[in-house]
Order: sequence, then structure tokens, then C-alpha cells
Amino acid sequence: MSYCVHCGVELDATAAFCPLCHTKVMDPGRPVDTESPKPFPTERGEVPPIPKGAVAAVITAMLACVAVGCGLLNLFLKPGRAWSLYVIGATIMLWLWIVLPLLFRKIPLLLRSVINVAAVVLYVYLMSVELNGWNWYIGLAVPIILWGGALWLLLALMLRVYRRSVISAAAIIIGSLGVFLVGVEFFIDRWLTGKVDLSWSLVVLTICVCTVIPLVVIRHIPAFREEVRRRFHT
Amino acid sequence: MAQKREKKHKEWYRLDNAAVVYAAIQKENYSAVYRFSAVMDQPVDPEALQRAVDKTMPRFPGFRVRIKQGLFWYYSEFNDAPGPFVKKDIANPCQPVRFDQDDGWLVRFYYYDRRISMEVFHAISDGGGAVYLLRTLLAVYLRELGYQIPNTCGVLDVDQPPKPGELEDAYARYATVKARRFTTLKKAYQNKGTAEPFYTLNVTMGFCSVLQLKERAKEHGASITEYLTAVLLKVLIDKQHRERPKKELPVALAIPINLRSWFPSESLRNFILTVRPSIDPSLGEYTFDEIISQVHHYLRLNINRQQMQAELAGNVKFARNKLIQVFPVVLKNPLVAFGYWMAGVRPFSGTYTNPGPFQVPEEMRPHIQRMEVILGQATMPRVHCASISYGDLMEITFAGTQKESDTEREFFRFLVRDGIHVKVESNRAQ
Repeated sequence: MSYCVHCGVELDATAAFCPLCHTKVMDPGRPVDTESPKPFPTERGEVPPIPKGAVAAVITAMLACVAVGCGLLNLFLKPGRAWSLYVIGATIMLWLWIVLPLLFRKIPLLLRSVINVAAVVLYVYLMSVELNGWNWYIGLAVPIILWGGALWLLLALMLRVYRRSVISAAAIIIGSLGVFLVGVEFFIDRWLTGKVDLSWSLVVLTICVCTVIPLVVIRHIPAFREEVRRRFHT
Repeated sequence: MAQKREKKHKEWYRLDNAAVVYAAIQKENYSAVYRFSAVMDQPVDPEALQRAVDKTMPRFPGFRVRIKQGLFWYYSEFNDAPGPFVKKDIANPCQPVRFDQDDGWLVRFYYYDRRISMEVFHAISDGGGAVYLLRTLLAVYLRELGYQIPNTCGVLDVDQPPKPGELEDAYARYATVKARRFTTLKKAYQNKGTAEPFYTLNVTMGFCSVLQLKERAKEHGASITEYLTAVLLKVLIDKQHRERPKKELPVALAIPINLRSWFPSESLRNFILTVRPSIDPSLGEYTFDEIISQVHHYLRLNINRQQMQAELAGNVKFARNKLIQVFPVVLKNPLVAFGYWMAGVRPFSGTYTNPGPFQVPEEMRPHIQRMEVILGQATMPRVHCASISYGDLMEITFAGTQKESDTEREFFRFLVRDGIHVKVESNRAQ
């Protein structure tokens, strides 16, 4: 029988280390018994994935009811205007956002982002159909949505790496917001006047940069980080 | 046709107070499942064990149930699915239950080498009720192997029909006094560690002599439970102190009390309440003897029939509140979960349960070497402690989903320093 030199407890003959302090068992007179069964099984129990089909079916049924109900109602209530397209578009968008990830696990991030952005593009398209707004749709809405989608994808990729640090995550989100708004003003100017003259978005971007720089400094200088942790600890 | 009609009128039961909470808070990262194991004198024969399960389960209809969701409350319903089937044991015990999987079984049986294990979801029974099932199962299993085992010492006769009293909601029966008002308990030191990957439960067991423990406890003027509670409190106080928090929080343990010894009941369903011995280190340093004295007097003062009856009446009154009753169960679940967090998680640093000595008929004694008990994972990565004695062997288990093993290490080192011989086994892989 072996004892842990640190804890003073007797160990099982099959134990190669002390489970309390992880000190290795080094007993030349009595090597670790590798033949006898271990005190506990070593095979892990597999955990079956939660079946999400039923949840997906319920949400699909609810969304379909809303869409079909509004579509039928539109035939009788103000039939001159296709107002139900707002609701139908929203249900399609929600279905793509919520139900698709339930049905297909592990959709790659790029594909999921493309689907999510396409859902928004489709929703705004249905609105533009109702409002006869092809011009603003193609000239303004689509570029802004695509720009937002691209930044969203970039943000998701960066947060995958830096998600453990609250400070890094905050810096990335604030920085992305500033960049996104510059793009928004760029597309608005281009569509309205055909000439790009950035103004308000640069003010927002400057504020964002002024916020991001101290965060980056705090993140990278351990003394500052410790100071912030001490003062803001919960 | 007759079968169809029978199916339509499956027996169902309202959940008792404790079961309502356990059903509502059951989720992927919390497991209200506990395990009792018996290590036999020879390797387990799985076929004989399956036969024993098949013969024993009809005697315990309270365990042959599944949990279903009603509009306002969960309820349990007779489970006519085949099984439960004995399975090879796994390295990560006490996995959370999912009501719609494994044919809805809320009790599981495992075997490994010489060990027979039984896992029970806390909504259907507490440890005091579950030991009857395990004891009877072990007796039937030994009979299957050819031994003569009498129906004494709590072994129930599987040829007799179940008694109606075994299925009673004992809380409701004794909720006849004026209810006690709920008080908000202070937040305790949380003893949180680093979480292990999904569905990993680290189990460390220590074995020591009951006689040695009794001697040490007696030296301090306490019982074994009081002594072990005090050791655990001391270890947690020191641990918190080492972490150098800005303000030291009280260290408190949840200790379930089996109410059957206070309120006569044959019920095999839940019938427990918890008490909360605590030490507030912000008041100053406590020596070990002072902690033992605090625990000893707290338990003697607070575990009495009147106080416990008032408390259980309060719980029952709360569940019977008309306003609470009309909430649909999906809205009630988050409320119950919040209530549990406020009253059952936040004010405690851990749980310590001691179901006491496991009694068996004299004829069974030579075939069982030791008993073990494990509590399932807590709502956060921290350890729960449980102990059970069999003959002269006390088994103390620490189980949790945290990577660190410091609580159990300091606990067993304390016992060793106090002159108690401890043997340790664990499922931890380096």
C-alpha cells in the first residue's frame, strides 16, 4: 500500500498519482498495479444531443400561422396595400435566424452569416416592394446591409479569439461601431448627392477611437489591468 | 381494449414540495441526481442484477414513474416502458436527467466490477426513501445468487403489494400548523472553482474507521456528523481566508435532515428539510473547538419538531398560494429557479449530507464490503460532500464539476492530522 507523501492518505494500489495533490506515486518497492481494475470505470458516458426537432416544429408552426393568417387577412382588410408583406418578411427572417440553427447543428460561421444577412436583405426587399422603393433598396439599403453583415462576420471572428477578455471584446465592439457608421454615411452621401463628404460619422469614429485606445493600453499593460480589476471588481 | 383503457387511466401523482423545485430547476448544468453504491464481495453478475431489478421495481411504484409537464405544474405518471435496464458503469456518474429521454426513467442501475450503483432523481425520492429500494434490491440480487436473505432490517417483501403510505406526500400531511414566514438568508462564501468540460463530475472518496471518527468526535464532545460538518466548515473558512477577499462572507453548509425520525411516515418520497450551520469569519478567528461547539449547539437548538413543522408548513402554503398556482409552468420555472438560487444556492457554501449507517440483515453482511454515496453536480462548479457508513467503514465523498481538488485535499489532510487513517480513491484522470 502506498501513501501520498504530502497528504498522508493511503492510496489505491492502482493509483499512479495522489488525487488530492496530484503528486506522482514513486515507490520502487511496490510499483503501481496496472493489472487490477481501477476503483472507478474509465469510460465516459456519452451525452446524447438534445432533440431540437420538436422545438423547431413548434416555432415553425407558430410563424407559419402568423404569416398565413396575415396573408389571408390582407385579402379582406385594405386589399389595395400589401401590408402583410411586412409580417411575412419578418416571419421568414425569424425562421432563418432561429429555426435553421436548431435544425442543422454546426453550420459554419460564414454560411450562417450569409444566411442571416440574406434574410435581412429579403425582408427589406419585401418592404421595398410594398413601398415601390426599388431605387433606395438597391442604392442604399443593400450596400448598408452588406457592409453591416461583413463587419458582423469580422466581429464574430475576432470575438472568437478575444472573447475571454472583457476589455478586448469591448474595444472590438466599440471600434466596429465607429467603422460601421463611417460606412453608413459613405453610402448615404453617395446615394443622395453622388459625392462623398464625411462629417458626423468622423465625429463618432473619433470618439470611438478615443475610447478604444485607453482600453487597448489597459489590456496590454499588466499594472493598469490589475488597477482596473481592483477598482472595478464585483 | 381493456389494455387501451388501462393505458388511458395511468396512475399519476402530484409532485411534493421538494419535487416541484427539483423538476423545475433540472437542466443541463445542474443535476439533482444522487447515487448510492454497494461494493460486493464478488464481481457483479449483470443478468442476476437485471432479474433482481425486474422483481424489485414493481414493489416500488413511486420509483416507476416519469415526470410530465402539465399546464400549471409538473406531475409524475406511472411509467409502463420496459426497464429500467442495468448498464455498465461510466466514469462521469450522476448525469442530469432529461424527462423525454431514456424512456423517462428517473432511476438508473449500473454495475462495475464488484460495485452495484443506483442513481435516483431527487424529485421522486430522497436518500432516506431510496435506501429502502437499494437494500431490497441487494437482498433480491443475493437471493438470485442463491443466498437466503430474510425480509428484516428494512428489506421490503417484493411479493407483497406496496403500502399506500409509501406513496403519501408527507409534507402535505404534516403541514397542519401555522406557517413560518420566509426569511432572506445572507449570501455565503460560494467556494467556486474552474469548471470542467461539459458533463464531467470529479469524484473523490475517502474511507476511514467509524470507531476512530467516533473517538475523535467524542473528544470534542460532538457526534460524527457534527465533527465532519465542523471540519468542512473549518476547511472552507481557511480556504476563503487564503483567497484574501475584500470582505469575508459567512461560510454555511446545507445539511438535509430526514424528517421521518421526527414525523412518523412510511413515505418513500421526499421528506427532508435542510438546516444551515454557519460561521461568520468577519466576526474574528474561530478555533476548531469553537466551530465544533457552534455546530453542535446550532444543530441541537434548531432541529426540533415544532420549528421543522412550521417550516414545512410554510413551503406547502407557498405552493398552495392561488396566485402562484395559476401561473403556467413555463413561467413558474424561472421563478422557482430564482427562488432556489436565492434560498438554496446563494446562502450556502456547499452541502453535506450523512444518511447515517446503512443497516442490512445479518445474512447480507458478509456479501457487502462497503457502501458509497455521491451527490450530483451543483448549480455551479463547487463540491458537495456526502458520507455513509457501513459496519466500521465510513465513506466520505466529494463530488463536483470543478477542476481544483483543494477542498477535499484540505479536508482529508485535516482528518489525517487529527490522527484518523484515511484511504482515498478517485475517478480523476491526471
